[in-house]
Amino acid sequence: MTKKASILLVSVVILGLGLTQVSPFRARFEAALHAGGHEFAKVMLSQDKGQALCSQYRDKLPPDLIPTFLAEQKALIKYPANGKLMGDWKNGEKVFTDPKRGNCYACHAGVASEVAHGTMGPSLTNYGQRGTSEAVVRYTYEKIFNAWAFVPCSLMYRGGVHGLFTPEETADLVAFLLDPESPINRR
Amino acid sequence: MKRRNRLVFLGVLALGALAGLGAYTQQQKPLDPFEEAMRQRQMYLETFGVLPGDLFVEEGKELFFRKGPSGKTLEECDFGKGKGVLEGVYAILPKYFSDSKRVEDLETRVYTCMQTVQGYKPAEIKRDEVRAITTYIASFSSKAKIQVVPKHPAELAMYNLGRELWYTRAGARDMSCAICHDQYAGQRVRLSPVRSPKQGLGNEWPAYRFEEDRLYTMEDRINFCYESIAIPKPEFYSDVHIALTVYMLAEATKAGHSFEELPFFTR
Repeated sequence: MTKKASILLVSVVILGLGLTQVSPFRARFEAALHAGGHEFAKVMLSQDKGQALCSQYRDKLPPDLIPTFLAEQKALIKYPANGKLMGDWKNGEKVFTDPKRGNCYACHAGVASEVAHGTMGPSLTNYGQRGTSEAVVRYTYEKIFNAWAFVPCSLMYRGGVHGLFTPEETADLVAFLLDPESPINRR
Repeated sequence: MKRRNRLVFLGVLALGALAGLGAYTQQQKPLDPFEEAMRQRQMYLETFGVLPGDLFVEEGKELFFRKGPSGKTLEECDFGKGKGVLEGVYAILPKYFSDSKRVEDLETRVYTCMQTVQGYKPAEIKRDEVRAITTYIASFSSKAKIQVVPKHPAELAMYNLGRELWYTRAGARDMSCAICHDQYAGQRVRLSPVRSPKQGLGNEWPAYRFEEDRLYTMEDRINFCYESIAIPKPEFYSDVHIALTVYMLAEATKAGHSFEELPFFTR
């Protein structure tokens, strides 16, 4: 083996070793998470691929990663067994309001009489003026089930993916937003 | 004031707060939560002549001068400016302490000194007592300019850990601190305004929250945040709290912020 080739070989081996080690910073970070206790560390260390990427890139993904990210998120969307993407708006309102399920008022305005709503997301009052075409219903369903399939790393969380609400409840949320009878669309 | 009087007093305050809260969520237009807090604060002052936070300061003062198993009081503890100095120490914490070889925030420092100086065992240290002592010491930095500037390698490491925690998205609600407190600073979650570190986030604790009828330190407030985003709260006095506090207050320092009147009175 020539001298040049040996140097190259040694460099590749060192580089390989370096890349497979947990970085000292990551090790220190994980130690801090464990210092926070078992329960805390368990959740913080069980990030899925999407959460890990959003953390790594501070919620601004490089453009070349976006197509794959969106496709992977889209693949996580599940649909109701009966295929209906628009369900019962009355149950939808319950899921929308429940802090443990939708918790939608945290960020969005909804029924006009509810004044204790957040302002981080767009107002959903009169969302139904978009109509109930198949495209609108499908977009609304998929956006609610997995917001990251449309906007990577958005504040809007992936309630359906995490099981905060079921596919059937997602369809109920769609109805709450789109049904002309829903209070969100009535004065 | 005796503990029992304080409980009665707080009970009455809680009733008042509840009535106030009821009135303010029933209104057509939501009131500005800070204006509402100031209104409640004024009401308590006029009715009782004292603020709830001041009762915690009083209790903390008694505990500060209480002798531990070693016979020493917390006067023997160095809180960052030498033994017995309390003026302005809260404004420079968290910092590195060579005796414990650790970066500590005020709450952790109190917890450490109760063990190393006063001789208490960890199991004997009540969270409520640390909370009151912290509030007492923080009251010596009321309206002080925040001066958290990481310099020691351990402080710089803590700042970097804090920043990493800040951006970590986890849990069933895909949340991180940054996603709300940076990108949506100035907006509201429900009725609560959200601020960024550059806007002075963290400059109001310890504070009495009238909606909860409880005193919150910075660590309490961090735990409240984690719980509300579906992440189990970290254990007190952990590097998680200390790192996040270094990060937030270092950013607030760069932006030139000062603490509020401490203990603060808030919603």
